[in-house]
Amino acid sequence: MTRSSDNNMGNVSAEVNQMDVDFGKNFKVLRPNDQIRELQTILRDKSTSRSDFKFYADRLIRLVIEESLNQLPYSDCSVVTPTGAIYDGLKYRSGNCGVSIVRSGEAMETGLRECCRSIRIGKILVESDPESHEAKVVYARFPEDISKRQVLLMYPIMSTGNTVVQAVNVLKEHGVPEQSIILSNLFCTPVAAQMVIQHFPDLKILTSELHSTAPNHFGQKYFGTD
Amino acid sequence: MSQNPQSIDVPSSCSSESDTNERAETENGTIYSHDSGYENEMCCPASPITVPSSRPRLASSTNRRQRTTSTSQNTIRPNEAIIRCNQRTIYTAGRPPWYNTMGQQVEPFVIGICGGSASGKTTVAQKIIESLDVPWVTLLSMDCFYKILNDKQHEAAERNEYNFDHPDAFDFELMVDVIKKLKEGRKVEVPVYNFVTHAREPHTKTMYGANVIIFEGILTFHSAEVLEMLDMKIFVDTDADIRLARRLKRDISQRGRDLEGVLKQYSTMVKPSYSNYIAPTMQHADIIVPRGGENIVAIQLIVQHVNTQLQLRGFKVRETLAHSEMQHLPMPNSLYLLPETPQIKGLHTFIRNANTSRDEFIFYSNRLIRLVIEYALSLMPFKNVSVETPQGISYEGKRMSSTKICGVSILRAGETMEQAVSEVCKNIRIGKILIQTNQQTGEPELYYLRLPKDMKDYRVILMDATVATGAAAIMAIRVLLDHDVPEENILLVSLLMAEIGVHSIAYAFPKVQIVTSALDPEINDKFYVIPGIGNFGDRYYGTEPNTEYS
Repeated sequence: MTRSSDNNMGNVSAEVNQMDVDFGKNFKVLRPNDQIRELQTILRDKSTSRSDFKFYADRLIRLVIEESLNQLPYSDCSVVTPTGAIYDGLKYRSGNCGVSIVRSGEAMETGLRECCRSIRIGKILVESDPESHEAKVVYARFPEDISKRQVLLMYPIMSTGNTVVQAVNVLKEHGVPEQSIILSNLFCTPVAAQMVIQHFPDLKILTSELHSTAPNHFGQKYFGTD
Repeated sequence: MSQNPQSIDVPSSCSSESDTNERAETENGTIYSHDSGYENEMCCPASPITVPSSRPRLASSTNRRQRTTSTSQNTIRPNEAIIRCNQRTIYTAGRPPWYNTMGQQVEPFVIGICGGSASGKTTVAQKIIESLDVPWVTLLSMDCFYKILNDKQHEAAERNEYNFDHPDAFDFELMVDVIKKLKEGRKVEVPVYNFVTHAREPHTKTMYGANVIIFEGILTFHSAEVLEMLDMKIFVDTDADIRLARRLKRDISQRGRDLEGVLKQYSTMVKPSYSNYIAPTMQHADIIVPRGGENIVAIQLIVQHVNTQLQLRGFKVRETLAHSEMQHLPMPNSLYLLPETPQIKGLHTFIRNANTSRDEFIFYSNRLIRLVIEYALSLMPFKNVSVETPQGISYEGKRMSSTKICGVSILRAGETMEQAVSEVCKNIRIGKILIQTNQQTGEPELYYLRLPKDMKDYRVILMDATVATGAAAIMAIRVLLDHDVPEENILLVSLLMAEIGVHSIAYAFPKVQIVTSALDPEINDKFYVIPGIGNFGDRYYGTEPNTEYS
């Protein structure tokens, strides 16, 4: 191991480490480094311009998506390189798809497309009832064979976790097993993490930051409707 | 004295940002003689590129320099990168290593050639360049250091009454400074003297130290400081009658001057100066070459001696790097290997597979490059900041402490990484360095250089897709250091490195941070990494030759 890897592990703040332990092995935080911290800082900063916001959000999304893909199942695979030597690599299994939760989850679709050019992407629209404040699914559209696929569920901001719980319920109704779902998320509150894990202990969650305040302005600012 | 349309200003193969105009760029530089008998394939890089066999000719004739001293040979042209002689063509090829395997500067061998006007100094210099077995020679003429004349002196010069053969006509201070820097292998700006206006041109010639530097002129032995810097001192002693005869012939037939004027100048200035200032310096010479360029025996002796000296100084980088014994050492602290996640391994599986289509190769390479660049940026220095959020709380975060970051790609394969850098850093400046392998010597050679101004203030992300022996990377780092970029501000990023390359780079430049996504154990005889990716540039750009890699 080189120094770099050690650093990466070592830099995890005590807070995050604590959280890590609390939420079990299926809850993962993107390996923190100063660079990612800067991206988060820019997204949090209220003086950030919209164009900067989108630029840096896309960068962070790309990193989260890449790391989410890392959670997908794979098998060993050896290939012959142009020099005639053998490289012992690996191959991801096919049969994945993305599902974005409208609207802010759609911000992550581009990032996914940049990594997987022709991946199928489903959508779920969850709206909260203006009277009861209960999250309700009003629209869902998935690839037909979604029950056989690994699903990358995209939703950048989790503050209560209600929306995600509803969305996962819909996926389960469509026959997707909990353990086949990976939730890609940028900012997550401990409350939301608790809530989702409580409902779905086998769901894999990947986020870039666990913080008690979620940047709820994300969708508005990213799409310019603030 | 009169004019000669051919100047001896030598061409450069690498000019940097300081060259502000095109003319300076095509004209300035260094003669790098390159031992080669064949034309287009003279420097076949690992991936064939077309190396221009000559430089564009200078269009403007108005700026052509007039010469008052020293003859120039038809075989050396200012605007071509070639010297033609007998059956051989010598190219001003790329710049080979000017440092040893430790990345340290190797002091160039400096030859001073002195002799009276029209004694054949240039011919001797040229013959030495031709016979030397080194690809990189800088030829510096004392003419560059003529002082700027005031109006009165300028008028005197017009009447053939200004003494260009007197020591007072030269700016020795500047001369010493330039030679000193060249000897240290640094970049220097050499003035270009205009013999019409008797002033320095606004542009300068950019020169770099070389394996061998030849400094020629009528008073090269005059300054004690210059003498001290010369490793070998040659005096070309040609009979006064012959020199006068040559001068008469040249000035009258080629420059259209009248006999009387030439004779007047000769007897009142050229001859006395020779007796008073030039001839006495003969005592400093290590070797006196009678009859100038015709003296083949003398030149062979000189060449033999210089070759021995160069061997002692040890130029031969890549081979030494490939065979050095550092393989079994633990990897250096300056290496930052991306954590080997399944996804990085998966991307490598795609791009290493010989059967991957180019479309997929480019796509997966770009993904991997992006990850490498993001990772590299995390190694920059950051500072703690506190920002206000729309949620009304303040947030403790980080910002990069320096905004002055620039990318420098090592052509060609390093260019594939530029896009990712631009995608990640808004408006980043990108410099380029072209280094190719000379198939004859196996050495890397520097062909082209374009760097942002004020390079020294930047943190530099140096990009090359693959690093095998590390020879090209070491050369590129050396170039950056020569531009005063502090070593610790350089970050070398790459998709794949061979262990030996990492050792060599880290050994030479311990403060350079090295980032890569994979480390392979070996390199083969053709300097390809094993198992490797093959030739990254060829696969990315689709220029694979139909030959095997092993």
